[in-house]
Amino acid sequence: MAALRSTSSRLLATASRHAFKSTAVMSRSMASVADATVESSPNASSDSRMKSIQVYRWNPDSPTEKPRMQTYKLDLNKTGPMVLDALVRIKNEIDPTLTFRRSCREGICGSCAMNINGTNTLACLCRIPTDTSAEMKIYPLPHTYVVKDLVPDLTHFYKQYKSIKPYLQRDTPSPDGKEYRQSKADRRKLDGLYECILCACCSTSCPSYWWNSEEYLGPAILLQSYRWLADSRDEKKAQRKAALDNSMSLYRCHTILNCSRTCPKGLNPGLAIAEIKKEMSF
Amino acid sequence: MASILRSSLLRQTALATAARPAGVPTCFIRQPIQRTILRDTARVSAFHASSRKNLLPPGPQVIKGTVNDPAPVPETSPSHGSYHWTFERLIAAGLVPLTMAPFAAGSLNPVMDAILCTTMLVHSHVGFQSIVIDYVPTRNYPKLRKACTWLLNAATVLVGIGLYEYETNDVGVTETIKRVWKA
Repeated sequence: MAALRSTSSRLLATASRHAFKSTAVMSRSMASVADATVESSPNASSDSRMKSIQVYRWNPDSPTEKPRMQTYKLDLNKTGPMVLDALVRIKNEIDPTLTFRRSCREGICGSCAMNINGTNTLACLCRIPTDTSAEMKIYPLPHTYVVKDLVPDLTHFYKQYKSIKPYLQRDTPSPDGKEYRQSKADRRKLDGLYECILCACCSTSCPSYWWNSEEYLGPAILLQSYRWLADSRDEKKAQRKAALDNSMSLYRCHTILNCSRTCPKGLNPGLAIAEIKKEMSF
Repeated sequence: MASILRSSLLRQTALATAARPAGVPTCFIRQPIQRTILRDTARVSAFHASSRKNLLPPGPQVIKGTVNDPAPVPETSPSHGSYHWTFERLIAAGLVPLTMAPFAAGSLNPVMDAILCTTMLVHSHVGFQSIVIDYVPTRNYPKLRKACTWLLNAATVLVGIGLYEYETNDVGVTETIKRVWKA
């Protein structure tokens, strides 16, 4: 770790190593807990804050068994603040059979998208409600085919993403043979579009996508579509528009705006779809 | 399969018997650990409390081609896509001034009344068409889709004829609303 730092910061670090080591490093350790035995019993201690978490369970090994909600109890004092912390703790200490996707635990990979208390969001960005009297309910993304427990099958979602050709398409080389340049104003048009991490929270919250996911592209893919339509360097605008110009791909959006409400990254797919419609209308 | 065949009543009875040991343990305070285990198992409740109604089941997942193939891109048809949307928006926006016109003018013009009727008729036709496209997909119910589309077309024509009759032989839509309003 020290080798990665620049020289100046390394010098600084050696100067203040003792103080740094004693306070900051120790206090920044992960919020997991050593004793794994007490957390599942509700009568642990008087100041423990036991929170019940209901999790959707379904096992493909016994497919005829109905999906069920399993309740786990965790002491919030010993758990990290986010829902993903709670899930990781359940898997580590209570029930190793619980299955969910997670990777970056900081809202960049989009793996841990799930339906928490009725809202699609990323488990790593969603705080556990501190009200211990209310149960927290965790489901997989709604209206998806479930692989196991909280893992939805996003194959078709990715296939749809591939169908919009999410890459720069150009025939003419750049004038100076180097990179394709863009004005600052043109670059600014991509803000709010390029940040999408394709977690599928918006698409699976869209009723229109629920009914017609086979043909309607859904808010996430349409936001990406607009990201390439709005790119000043792309030269296949006409083809991109033609691919959307039918009754199903784009125009099944009825501006329900669940997508903009649920987006865990604070983006606005509804606006992007409206912009596509506007660009294609006249 | 058993869970599908089993009726909801049977399932609830089974659940009630499963839950009974958890209801008892007020007298079993001596074994708190066992009690919590029992209670936790009882908390694993059935997912559906209501009876199973299999209306329009989703069917198995179908992935066309391999997972690396892109989803098929439909044929371009602006008359069902961009033109259709623009037309629909224009009709919807046009309804606003048309609705206000009789109030602004203070008089009832039969021509304006007829235009308002026609626009409303087209607007509702497009709206219902949208519902049919949304809820009766061609990929699942091709025949029902066709039937619904033609039923809608027939209804629109019927309403059109009715409105024509009403406009020519009776007082007209705006006047009717006015009379109902003041009745």
